[in-house]
Formats: sequence, C-alpha cells, structure tokens
Amino acid sequence: MHMKKQALLMAGWLLVLLTLGRCTSKQDAGAPKKVAVIVSTLNNPWFVVLAQTAAEEARALGYEAKIFDSQNNTSLEADHFENTIVSGFDAILLNPTDSDGSIVNVMKAKEAGIPVFCMDREVNSSKVATSQILSDNYSGCVALGVHFVQSLNKKGNYVELLGLVGDNNTWNRSKGFHSVVDRYPSLKMVARQSADFDRNKALEVLESILQAHPDIDAVFCGNDAMAMGAYQALVAAGKANEVAVYGFDGADDVMNSIRDHKIKATGLQSPQTMAKTAAQYADAYFKGKRDFAQRVPVAVELVTQQTISDYETPAKP
Amino acid sequence: MNKTVKYLIGFGLLGLIAYNSVYFKRLDEVKAAGTAGAGKAGKAAFAAAPYAETFWTTKLLPAAPNSATDLATLLSLLKTDKEKAFSTYSQALGIGNIRYFLVKGEGAVTAVGPNEVTVSLPSGETVHLATEYIFGNAVRDASGLIKITEFDNTADLNSVSAEINDIIRKTVIPPLKANATPGKKLAFIGAIELNRAHLHLETLNLIPIVAQRVKE
Repeated sequence: MHMKKQALLMAGWLLVLLTLGRCTSKQDAGAPKKVAVIVSTLNNPWFVVLAQTAAEEARALGYEAKIFDSQNNTSLEADHFENTIVSGFDAILLNPTDSDGSIVNVMKAKEAGIPVFCMDREVNSSKVATSQILSDNYSGCVALGVHFVQSLNKKGNYVELLGLVGDNNTWNRSKGFHSVVDRYPSLKMVARQSADFDRNKALEVLESILQAHPDIDAVFCGNDAMAMGAYQALVAAGKANEVAVYGFDGADDVMNSIRDHKIKATGLQSPQTMAKTAAQYADAYFKGKRDFAQRVPVAVELVTQQTISDYETPAKP
Repeated sequence: MNKTVKYLIGFGLLGLIAYNSVYFKRLDEVKAAGTAGAGKAGKAAFAAAPYAETFWTTKLLPAAPNSATDLATLLSLLKTDKEKAFSTYSQALGIGNIRYFLVKGEGAVTAVGPNEVTVSLPSGETVHLATEYIFGNAVRDASGLIKITEFDNTADLNSVSAEINDIIRKTVIPPLKANATPGKKLAFIGAIELNRAHLHLETLNLIPIVAQRVKE
C-alpha cells in the first residue's frame, strides 16, 4: 500500500513537471527579461562582433543576455531553440545557420510566443520571424556598380567571382551589381565563377581564369575575402596595377588595401548597427510594439579610394 | 494489483513523453511558411511597375512641390546644425547612415556634360543634376511617402526603386537634356543622398524628379 502511494505520488510529480516543461517557465515579475543571442558561428570574427554587440546592447537596455553558438549546424541551432524556450527566454536575436533550415526553429519559438529578430542573414519566410534586420546587399552593390562603371569609363572586360551559390546574399549582391553594369554593353563579363566566399579559392579560380582571359580590366568579388584572393592572383600575374578589384563587407584588410590603393572599392556593412537594432527591437517588443516591418534593410556604405579617409584606420594584423 | 498500477502509470508516462517529443504538422503549412518569403506561395507576385507608376503620378508629383525643402536653406542648415537638418528633413526606408532629402531649387546652368547638368544656385553652391547615372533608392525614399511596413521582402523594395528610376529616365531626363543650355535658368525638384556620419557637401548629386526652364 505504501509503495503504491509512493508510486502514485511520484507519477503525479512527473506529470506536473512534464506539463510545466511544455510551457515556458516565466520568471518572477521583478526579474529582468532574458534575451538569447543565437549566432551561426563564433569561428569568424565578423559574427563574434555581431553576437557580442547584440548581447551588450541587450544588457545595456536592462536585460539578461546569453550567447549560443550554433557552429554552422542547424540541428545544434534547434537544440539552442529548445533550450531557450524551456529556460524561459523572452526574446531571441538570431543569426540563422540556414535560410531554409532555420525556418522550423523560428516557428517553434513563434509557437511558444517568443519573438525572434533575425540579424544579417534572413530566413526564407515572411511569417515566422518578428522582424529581419538585414544588410542591404542589393543597394550596396548598386552603388558599387555605379562606381565600377564610372571608373572603367563604361567599357572593358571584367570577371565576376560569386560567393556560395546557395546563399541569398551571393545573388542579392550579384543582382544589384548587374542591375547597373548590364546597362552598358561595352562592359563585357568574360568569366563568372563561384569561389565560395573563400580567399584561397578566389586566388585559384582567378589564376585559372587569367590563363584563358589575360586581358581583363576589373574583377568584381562578392565579398572581401575573395577580393583579397583575387588581388593576390593579380600580383602573381604581374597585373595588380592594371586590374581594378572590388569587394564587399568592409573587412579590415580590404579597408587597409583601399587605403594603400591596392583594392578599388568595397561595400561597408555594419554588424554593429544590425545587432544593436535587433536588441532595440526586442526592447520595443517588450514595451508593447508589434507593427515591425518584416524585413528592414541596413544601409551599406560605398567605400572608395576617395572616401576611405572618412573611416578609421583598422589595426593592421 | 500493485504491478498493474505501476505498469499503467509507466505506460501513461511513456505515452506522454512520446506525445511531447513528436510534432505533427501539415506538410503544406510548413511548405507555405517556407516559401512565403520567396513569393512562391501565398499572395500573388508583387507588380512593381504599376506600383511605381501610381506612386509617381498620384503621390510623388502632387506632393513634391510643397514637401521638398529649399536646397540652399537645407545646405545652410547642414553646415550649422547637421543633426537638426537630418532629423527634420531626411528620410530612408532602411536604417544606417545613408539618408535621402527631397529638395527644390532654381539656378543657372553652368555646364552640360555627358552624365550631368551642373546648376549654380543663387547662394553660390553648385548641384549636379544626374542625366546618366539614375540608380539607387534616393527618389523612392526621399519623400517618405512609401512605408517599409508595406513590403514583406526586399526584392520588391528594390524593384520599386528600379521602376521609379526607369520612369525618370523616360520622362524627366529627355526634356532636361533638351532644356539644359549654359546660361539659362532651371527650376528643379529632386532627391539627394547624404551620409549622416560622413557628410560631404563639396559634390552634390541630385536625381531629378522635375526640371523646367524658368522664363526670364
């Protein structure tokens, strides 16, 4: 009889715990709200800045903040979402690992009543995140495209190095660039190849392109790492002074190369602006705001050899 | 009896855990959520050309003469109180340092180049009215009449800019080029882009919305 009573009591407790586990555990009314920063990777300094700025801004606004590293793994990201939901976080600032694969994770948070604000990378849905704060890749590359056309005086041969072909940013950048450049028929794209946003791959790809097309005037690269790789290939081929290289990101090494007149121009993204805005949106959400724009573009600034003096000199490595 | 109760509770708990561990969702719902952003499902594809045409004829052109700021007044305020100038007169659909102003002015044409018409304002400043490089979001954003909340995806926003710029190329630039003669006076309304953090007023480029010769 005693055993039966104990078993029943234990079962009762387990039932209570399980039921509670399904709900998000809400903290005391007086305790600060909790903000989770779930970032695709902390293995890249750019994303470290993004995550840390978001967490710092959330703390500055009076909230608890914790960073979760998804290590570019969507299932690890799913675990982080489960944890944040169960641990009673009140908002998630997300840099998704995969624009399609992360949708289901964001949906889970939405179903649990937790707002999700995407930073820098988008999810391919307009119905799950509360708002998505994204670099205006397209418009940034429109500005780069205009500078490109002006610098080349509307004519010449060029190569385009694309980023990862499955990545939205790759195509937004390429489309913005071509929306300008394709209006000038004397500008001929002699080769276009993916170098996966990777410096070494860009070096190899451009080296092989140069063998088939030694007579080029410019290389447009979908990010700064590839621009650095392309520049290296041009140096090796003795063409660094004749061929203009364009990048995108505003990475320190490219900003320094623009200053040294090695790279022509780049589009400067601001992870700080995106991260701070995401934290401020979470704050506004807690205070009752609900009419967020689904996608908020963050301006990308054109940095050229003429405007580089406006920007601080980054520390040389 | 004891054992039966334990088994029953055990099975009950297992059932509850299993129920809590597995989610069932309609495949079409998940697919719809996944593709909505790409514009493949849900509502019909956004038609940028008619949107831009309506914006141009029924909103921008009627509102521009009154809502545009006098360029010389703006330039003077930018030099004395940059923050006030940006917070009072600039617009942008996105966030960041790049902001747009809807401005108007009048001045004498001093040069006609292949890419621009240069106009000298009575206040002494010069402004370059673009005739070749009609790109970017200046005209879309400068009036503040388009709201970011109207759009679910950035591709639609970008196509609105492209269509507005096309209207300018077709309807504003040809008469501007025809009327631009050095020494003659032009009245203009247009949009300029300025960087809030890195402000440069030495070279002012304006995308024209209206440009007319002033009768002297």
